[in-house]
Amino acid sequence: MAIASSTPQSSASPAPARGQSVNARILRLAWRSPEMKVASALFFALCLLTLLGPFIIDASATKISVADKFLPPVFMEGGRLPYFLGTDQLGRDLLLRSLVGLRNAFLIGVVSVVLMFVLGCAIGIFSGYRGGWTDVILMRITDVQMSIPVIILAITILGMSRPNPFTIVAVLVLSGWPIYARVARSVTLAERQKEYVRAARIIGASDLRIMVRHIAPSILPPIAFVAVLDVARMMIFEAIFGFIGIGIQPPTPTFGTIISGGTQYLLNAWWITIVPGCLLALSLGSLNLIGGVLEKSRNLVLQGAA
Amino acid sequence: MAFALEFFLRRISQGVLIVLAVAFVIFTLLRIAPGDPIRIILGPMATPSAMEETAERLGLRDPIPMQFLRYLGDIAKGDFGNSFIRGKQGGTTGGSQDAAGSPPVERAPVIELIAKALPYTLLLAACGFLLACLVSIPLGIMAGVKNSGWPQKVALYLSSLLVSLPNVWVGIVLIYLLSARTGWLPAIGYQHIGYVIIPAIVVAVELAPVMIRSISVAVATNVQDPFYEIGQVRGLSARTMLFRHVLRNAAVPLLNSFGAQMIGMLLGGLFVVEYIFSFPGIGLLTINAVFQRDFPVIQTVAIFASTVLVFINIAVDFASTTIDRRLKF
Repeated sequence: MAIASSTPQSSASPAPARGQSVNARILRLAWRSPEMKVASALFFALCLLTLLGPFIIDASATKISVADKFLPPVFMEGGRLPYFLGTDQLGRDLLLRSLVGLRNAFLIGVVSVVLMFVLGCAIGIFSGYRGGWTDVILMRITDVQMSIPVIILAITILGMSRPNPFTIVAVLVLSGWPIYARVARSVTLAERQKEYVRAARIIGASDLRIMVRHIAPSILPPIAFVAVLDVARMMIFEAIFGFIGIGIQPPTPTFGTIISGGTQYLLNAWWITIVPGCLLALSLGSLNLIGGVLEKSRNLVLQGAA
Repeated sequence: MAFALEFFLRRISQGVLIVLAVAFVIFTLLRIAPGDPIRIILGPMATPSAMEETAERLGLRDPIPMQFLRYLGDIAKGDFGNSFIRGKQGGTTGGSQDAAGSPPVERAPVIELIAKALPYTLLLAACGFLLACLVSIPLGIMAGVKNSGWPQKVALYLSSLLVSLPNVWVGIVLIYLLSARTGWLPAIGYQHIGYVIIPAIVVAVELAPVMIRSISVAVATNVQDPFYEIGQVRGLSARTMLFRHVLRNAAVPLLNSFGAQMIGMLLGGLFVVEYIFSFPGIGLLTINAVFQRDFPVIQTVAIFASTVLVFINIAVDFASTTIDRRLKF
C-alpha cells in the first residue's frame, strides 16, 4: 500500500472518459480474490438449487401430509428421502419451503434495491445538480425520512394494511432511498464543477441531458457495486417482517413465517427453525462477501492503488 | 461560545421541524391506512351507532389536519393522550364492553406506558452496545493498524459472518441452545437481570459487524496518512501514535457513522429483539399497539424515536467539532 498517496477517498470515478474501463477494472480486481470466486460459486449453486429444486425433489412445499410431519433431516436418525432437510409441523418439505422462501426474499430484495437505487440516485443527482432551494427541500425530506426507523415505518404501514409483495417492496424502497440520494447528491456536487459538465453546457446540452447522459453514467456504477450489500440487508428485513407476521402471508412460505411457525416446536423439532435459517444465512453470506469484495476493490481502484 | 449557541439554535429549530414532519407523516399514515381502531376498542358485537359515538368522542371523524393540530396542542400541554386499548391497571381492555355504553374503563396515559417500558429498553440497549464494543473496539483497532495478518482476516470474516445472520434467527437459535436445551439462562419475558443476557447478545450480533468495519476503516485511513509515518520518524512510539493521534482523528468519522447509522439500527434491532423475547420494552409495546390500532401509542413512540435520532445527530455533530477543531459548525 502506497503510504505517500493521500488521495481523499471519494466515490466519484477519477476520469469519466475511462468510465467503462474503470468498472471493468473493478470487476477484474474483484474477481481475482479467492473470496469472490467462492462466494459466486456458492451463490450460483443456490440459484441453481432454487430453480431446479422443485423439479428434482419429489415433495411439496405447500401440500400438507400429516403422516410425514416432524421428520428430521436425512443425516439424522429417522430422516428419510426425499425430505433432505426434514419436514415441518404439517409434513411439508423444509428444503422446498426454504427454497421458495429464498426465491421470494431474493426477488423482493433485488426489486426493492433496484427501485431505491433508481429513485434515490435520481433525486440525489437532481438535488445536487440544481442546488439552491430544490436542494435544501429535497435534503430536508431525506432528513425526515431517515429519522423514521425502518421497523417503525414498516410495522405502521404493513401492520395496518394487508401486506403483499408490493407493499413490502414499497416500504423497503421508502425507507432505503434517502441513503442513495445522499450519496448521489454529494458526488454530483463534486462532479458538477468538472470540465466535462461545463463543456457539455457550453455546447448547449440541456440540464436533463447532462444529468442523465453525462453525470449519471460516471457516478452510478461505483454506487451500484455497494448496492449488492443492500440486497442482503433487504432480505433480512423481509425475514423479520415475516417473523412478526407483517410479511408475505401464508400459505406462501417465507423464511420469517417458517422460523416463527417452528418456534413452538423448538424442543422436539429444532430443525424446523434452525435449518432454513442456515440456508438463509448461507445465501446472505455469499451476497455479503460478493458485495464486500466489490466494495473493497472499488475503493482500491478509485484511490489509484491498483 | 456564540457560535456554539448559534449552532444549537439552528440545529434544534431544524430538528423540531423534522420531528413535526415525522409526526405528521405517521399521524396521517395511521389514519389513511385500513383498519378501524373503534372496532378493536368496542369489540365485534358493537352496534354501528355505538361505534360512531365512540369515534366522535375520540375525535377520529374530524379532518386529519384538524386532528393533528389538536394533537399538537395537547402535546404542547404535556398530554400525549391516552391509550385506546390499555387500561390503567395494565392489561388490555378491548372488546369486552357491551354496546350499551357502560362507562368506559379508564385508559392508561401513553406517557405512563412509555415511562414503564423505557427503562427496560435502555437496559437492553446499553447491555447490547457494551457487548458489541467489547468485541469490536479491540478487533477493529487491531485490524485497522496492520493491513495484513490475522486480526484483519478475523475482522473481515467475523463481520461478514455476523452481518449475514438474521437477528430473528440468531434469537431463536440462542434460545434453543442457551435456554431451552441447556437451561443455562432464562429467555422469555423479564423477571431479573439475567433475562437481559440473551437479547443483549442478539443486539450485539447485529451491531458488531458494522462497528468492526467502521472502526477498522477509520483507523486504517489514518494509519495510511503521512502524519503517522512522520510521527514515527520523530521518535514517537507506535503506542503513542495510536492512542494520542490516530484514535483521536478516527473518532470523527466514527462518531458520524454511529450517529447516522448505528442509532437507527439499534432502534430497529431493539424492536425486533424485544418482540422475539417478549421483553417488556418500547418495541413490544409498539408492535402490540400496531396490531391493536392503538394510534396514540404508535404516534408517541414515533415522535420519541425520531426525537432521539435527531438529537443524537446534533450531539454527534457538536462532539465532532469539539474533537476536530478543523471542522466548521
